[in-house]
Amino acid sequence: MIYLDYSSTTPVLKEILESFNKVSTDYFANPNSLHSLGIKSHELLLNATKQISSLLKIKENEVIYTSGSTESNNMAIIGLALEKGKRGSHILTSKLEHESIYEICSYLEKNGFIIDYVNNDENGLIDFEDLKKKVTNDTILVTISAVNSEMGIRQPLKIIKQVINKENPNCIFHSDMTAAVGKIPINLADVDMASFDSQKIYGVKGIGMLYKNTKVKIKPLFYGSKNELRPGTPIVPLIASFSKALRIALEDIPAKNEKVTKLNEKICNKLKEYPKILINKNKNTIPYVLNISLMDIKPETFIHALEKHEVYVGSNTACASGKMSPTVFNLYRDKVRALTTIRISLSYLTTTEEIDEFLTIFNNVYTKLSELADKAQ
Amino acid sequence: MEKIIIIKYGELTTKKDNINYFINALRDNIKKSLKDIDNKIIYDHGRMFIETSDYENVLNILKKTFGIHEINIGYKLKTNSLEEINAELLNLLKDKEFKTFKVTTKRSDKSYPINSMEISKKVGGTILKNIPNIEVDVHNPNLEINIEIRKNEAYIYFEKIKGIGGYPVGTLGKGMLMLSGGIDSPVAGYLAMKRGIKLECIYFDSPPHTSKEALNKVKELASILSTYQNDIKLHIIHFTEIQEQIYKNCPKEYMITIMRRQMYRIAELLARRENCKCIINGESIGQVASQTLTSISTINEVITTPVIRPVCCLDKLEIIDIAKKIDTYETSILPYEDCCTIFVPEHPVINPERKLARTYEEAFDFRTLNLQSVKNKNTIKLPEEKSEFSNIL
Repeated sequence: MIYLDYSSTTPVLKEILESFNKVSTDYFANPNSLHSLGIKSHELLLNATKQISSLLKIKENEVIYTSGSTESNNMAIIGLALEKGKRGSHILTSKLEHESIYEICSYLEKNGFIIDYVNNDENGLIDFEDLKKKVTNDTILVTISAVNSEMGIRQPLKIIKQVINKENPNCIFHSDMTAAVGKIPINLADVDMASFDSQKIYGVKGIGMLYKNTKVKIKPLFYGSKNELRPGTPIVPLIASFSKALRIALEDIPAKNEKVTKLNEKICNKLKEYPKILINKNKNTIPYVLNISLMDIKPETFIHALEKHEVYVGSNTACASGKMSPTVFNLYRDKVRALTTIRISLSYLTTTEEIDEFLTIFNNVYTKLSELADKAQ
Repeated sequence: MEKIIIIKYGELTTKKDNINYFINALRDNIKKSLKDIDNKIIYDHGRMFIETSDYENVLNILKKTFGIHEINIGYKLKTNSLEEINAELLNLLKDKEFKTFKVTTKRSDKSYPINSMEISKKVGGTILKNIPNIEVDVHNPNLEINIEIRKNEAYIYFEKIKGIGGYPVGTLGKGMLMLSGGIDSPVAGYLAMKRGIKLECIYFDSPPHTSKEALNKVKELASILSTYQNDIKLHIIHFTEIQEQIYKNCPKEYMITIMRRQMYRIAELLARRENCKCIINGESIGQVASQTLTSISTINEVITTPVIRPVCCLDKLEIIDIAKKIDTYETSILPYEDCCTIFVPEHPVINPERKLARTYEEAFDFRTLNLQSVKNKNTIKLPEEKSEFSNIL
């Protein structure tokens, strides 16, 4: 099997699953229990949180566990809107976000908030002039992801925060960092809130995190325990394994990046030999994501054809319904290009041999399908 | 009959007025290093007795404790009756091969009916009677039998193990060891510890020019040194920017000189913060370009804190001998580059001039960068505390 869809989700690392299992059996007690078993669980919970806070250089009470990025995004955006907003309050986002951000925004829009979208340049970089214009005194929140999920476009969060704060020092900046963690260095001082997900960093599925700076106040979305944004018995096995996943993800980022860059270049060099294929890559994209447009082959056909050889690549998120990739269309203004994208996403676990084999299979499948496409025309 | 360990102090007994200070420090050091092992320490004039069930481990730790002159392995009897002592002693002597022997007795229980000389005589007589073909030699015996009569108990001991000597670590204050990944600096640290200096270590880390393996190697070296002083602090300085600035702004042949000058300054800033009274490093005269006397002088001029160079006058082979003895050698020769071996010019200046070094280094704002590097240092304590969760997290 050649798995090249790491941006959708990652396999769980063996040692992380081992932690999950060990904690599930050996530290199963409720950390809120008074007896010694509970105290042990509680101690483990504290250690896990402490490790996360020191890895991310934040305070321990700035770590809020959630079920994943989507929940973190809900908690951050809706929670802040409820706390600070009133009818007419203004929320800004980019045109390159994950679908879930737009769904949240559309819910708020129905409830009287005004949602606006910041422009970007042809390489996907946020247009700072436009951002400056759009941040007003009514703007309570800007949410822009650190790395775009479809093409891997990375944004300069530090500059974005500076621009926002210059226009409105009270405006909060949230960033979905799901696609960035472990791939590029992240600095939580660049944002006020950030979302994370375990299943994209080789962790167990079902846990994520919201970083919320202590100075930011949000309304809870869940009730059940005083002073807790997410009440309920802490899920210690998930939390401990997430802490471990984060530790491993943040190790050796430069070396991992170097390896993946080479793999990415290897694929690109080969794909350049196909005159029709377009590579959706620019100076702002990270090497882990390689988005290409097949142009005359339907992506779902191509993905299924590859799958017969046990090769797995991703589509754009809306692909199944025959929709365009919003990011690719935004950058290139080309409908066919946006309709025919596939996303090859790499990992530091990917080997050169896998890429060699992938390229051979890719060639066979592509040659066959493109002959058919030519005949159809 | 229980096995016990008896500790004798070396040079400490020559310290007249401060003797208690040194002995208390030794006792505290021993206590601390045995904290995870069941043990009972009994203090006596000039000696300590340790009772334990984990005899091997205690012995290994004591062999690495500075301030101990001699270690004896002995046996404790729960009675001080002479018949019992004779019986036990004969039992113990069964496994021993010797032609000549001597009995020495100490009697800390002065109410005991017979004095030390007589006890020795009586015990010696019993041994002669029971074991054939042996004789007494008070000057050069094969076997020295020591008996100690205490209140309601007695000790018998034979073997002597040489301790590593020196002063108890910490009795002479703290020093900042400039620890690289090489062979010399751990040896320098060891020798400084031997004279009672408690070490903290400073390491200059230059990622991505130096690797994580290099840092791990230094952690390992610091961990080995920590076995001589219970635990050790390792301060990791992020040196990348300073090194890159030097590379960009200073003449190649002066790079090493200027780099060492910054390292000295940073070490001094940190030493002051951490209340270390000296800086220790592994410089050995003439070994490399930065260790000629002129180089040392040009580099040393930037600070006023005393710099101790314990291996200064040792040959490389002598240093290697010590490194092997203290188990740092195998780690030191692992082939990872440290920040002194990257950016090395082909022909570094052998006699750097102070004046030129001063002028060249003004090409970048080293003061701010040095201060920042101390502020942003990362300090870890070794050996790293292994919580029960360390495998899980």
